[in-house]
Amino acid sequence: MNTKKRVAIALGAGYTPGINSIIMGVAISAHNMGWEVVGIRDGFEGLLFPEKYPNKGLIDLSPDSINKLNPLGSDAMGTAASVDPFNVRTTNEYGMIEEEDMSDTLLANLKKENIDGVIAIMMGRGLSILHKLNLKGMKSVCIPRTIENDMAATSVAFGFNTSLSFSIEMLDRARQAAISSKKIGVVEVLGSQAGWLALQSGIAVLADAVVMPEFPCDVKALAAHLKTKITPEHPHAIVVVAEGSTFTNLPGTTKIDNDDIKKALSPLANEDDSEFVIDKSGKAAKVLSMALQQLLADEVYPLVLGPWSRGGDATAVDRQLGLAYGAASAKAFEQEKFSTMAAFVGSHIEFVSLIEVLNKARTVKADNGFLNVARALGIYTGA
Amino acid sequence: MMENQDYLDIKGRVINIQRYCGEDGPGTRTTVFVKGCSLRCKWCSNPESIKPKPELDFNKKVCKGAAECGICLKEPFPQGAFYVPDGEDDLVVPNWDLANSCTEELASLCPTGAIGMFGKVMTAREVLDEVLKDESMYRNTGGGVTISGGECLLQPDFTAAILRGAQESGIHTAIETAGNVPWEFMEKVLQYVNLMLHDNKLMNPERHKKWTGVDNKRILENFQKAYQTFPHVEFITRTPLIPGINANEEHIRAVLEFIKPYKNVIDYELLPYHRFGLGKYEFLGKVYELKDFTSPTPEMLKQFRAMIDDAFGRTTV
Repeated sequence: MNTKKRVAIALGAGYTPGINSIIMGVAISAHNMGWEVVGIRDGFEGLLFPEKYPNKGLIDLSPDSINKLNPLGSDAMGTAASVDPFNVRTTNEYGMIEEEDMSDTLLANLKKENIDGVIAIMMGRGLSILHKLNLKGMKSVCIPRTIENDMAATSVAFGFNTSLSFSIEMLDRARQAAISSKKIGVVEVLGSQAGWLALQSGIAVLADAVVMPEFPCDVKALAAHLKTKITPEHPHAIVVVAEGSTFTNLPGTTKIDNDDIKKALSPLANEDDSEFVIDKSGKAAKVLSMALQQLLADEVYPLVLGPWSRGGDATAVDRQLGLAYGAASAKAFEQEKFSTMAAFVGSHIEFVSLIEVLNKARTVKADNGFLNVARALGIYTGA
Repeated sequence: MMENQDYLDIKGRVINIQRYCGEDGPGTRTTVFVKGCSLRCKWCSNPESIKPKPELDFNKKVCKGAAECGICLKEPFPQGAFYVPDGEDDLVVPNWDLANSCTEELASLCPTGAIGMFGKVMTAREVLDEVLKDESMYRNTGGGVTISGGECLLQPDFTAAILRGAQESGIHTAIETAGNVPWEFMEKVLQYVNLMLHDNKLMNPERHKKWTGVDNKRILENFQKAYQTFPHVEFITRTPLIPGINANEEHIRAVLEFIKPYKNVIDYELLPYHRFGLGKYEFLGKVYELKDFTSPTPEMLKQFRAMIDDAFGRTTV
């Protein structure tokens, strides 16, 4: 039975190219069922602070407005730095900053706007926030999006293909630079806990080595491998390293004991002040290139793709995936498959329980097929 | 000796009492770190002091793992609050968004102490008892007690009670404050203060708001009122010096200009930005927002300290 509903789309923190295609998928599918669709501005901010926005914080996603959207972009709804209605930073009556639980306000405003539920485009912490809102009675279906492809249960998250394509293009350019300068380029790509982007882009450009968070990199073993690859005829190399990678056998590292200073400045301080703790973006490339430089005669230099990979236009694959995820999620909502996340399994989309996936990551296992491909091509992975 | 010390029954939220400190006032001191802050400075090195209420912390180094323990993986802990990630060991990690709802009572079920709480409620008397343990040391070194935070003026009655008790025992008293409180709070505490260490983080109101969450209008007004209303209190202004934010001559000059008319502002100290608190962000499941900033160079510090020495009529060594 098809009862008319009003559904809202919410977008989690962070930028992913081509989100508009998901919005179009949800809206067109929902319109075909006779439903009304709105977007919540800036994560949940539109409904937490409706007085700050036009149209009470909601965006019209009627068929007319959907027709005007650019499916390559992500500009339809705006984003927020944080989408946590349980910890909203506010200023109290004394002019002091505090964090307030405004989840009840969000739920009340959803009800006030006659919104039956939310289709949420989320990743990372957003899944836990969504789960907490579900426990408080919000009806939701989640669409996975992450350019690192590390969300459990789904073989492809929205955004990964776009980032992969960009990374490959940039690695090709880095390779050309390495060839012309006869140097070793260490290129850092995104991937804090999973090495999919490094592995798949590294394979595509026939990199000499790929370093991933799943397999701590023995730097001396990597250097030994590179020595076998670098010859007078082939005086260059490309190493792709995921930003979350860790290293063993680093040459020349020392630990400075400054516990007393630390305690004086910051009680309960418990970790080193070192580059390993601090500079996330660029850290892996910097550490690895410096270490390799000490072990190799050839010049090694770091490059960081980092946030460049988050921009641009969606690829054809992501456009299709976005429309598919959107349309399937509207259907799942109709079937009352609440508190679930869409997952691409085999050749179709399934809906898995959110609580079953929110603490899991999709990582590269030692027996993964891509690793076998890399081995066959002579690419060092350390796995 | 006081006849009536009922005022010491007042309770407050304390993170830590640290003995033998040498940074927060003259001599060797005991520093009481209280919980709760009214700013959100992006460089904060004491993230455990920000929220007023006790909050969960997790020390993975003492967790015994799911096979040997695993208590937090089952009820009454919230579903998904703790889990074992893929990897070589079976050590538990928290999902902070779900685990933060754990109460102190729930945390106490963890037999290894891996799950704990930052912050506890104490009476001013209990704090003072700790402080008085080193009474003779204060006398020998010219030290005393310093109430720090967080923002100690967010608990004005509690802070005032500790300081009053200390002064009645003849102990030198100091506070560290950022000054973002109603004047009444500051006024209440300053009656029992010998030395106030206070921040001048940024002099430009818009930039102050960008980096700390609020503008500095009330803060600067409070400091000026404090200098004027409490002429016998000594003041030391401080800047946490961060390259790219406030480590420039313009800021140093503006602060020197601000304090110039007041003789009871006895010094201007620079605190070089450091990252020693970073590990605690992980401890608390918080995100450090200033990760790409560096510490000021020795040359930079030397240059700015020479400006300050010049303003105070001192010779730079």
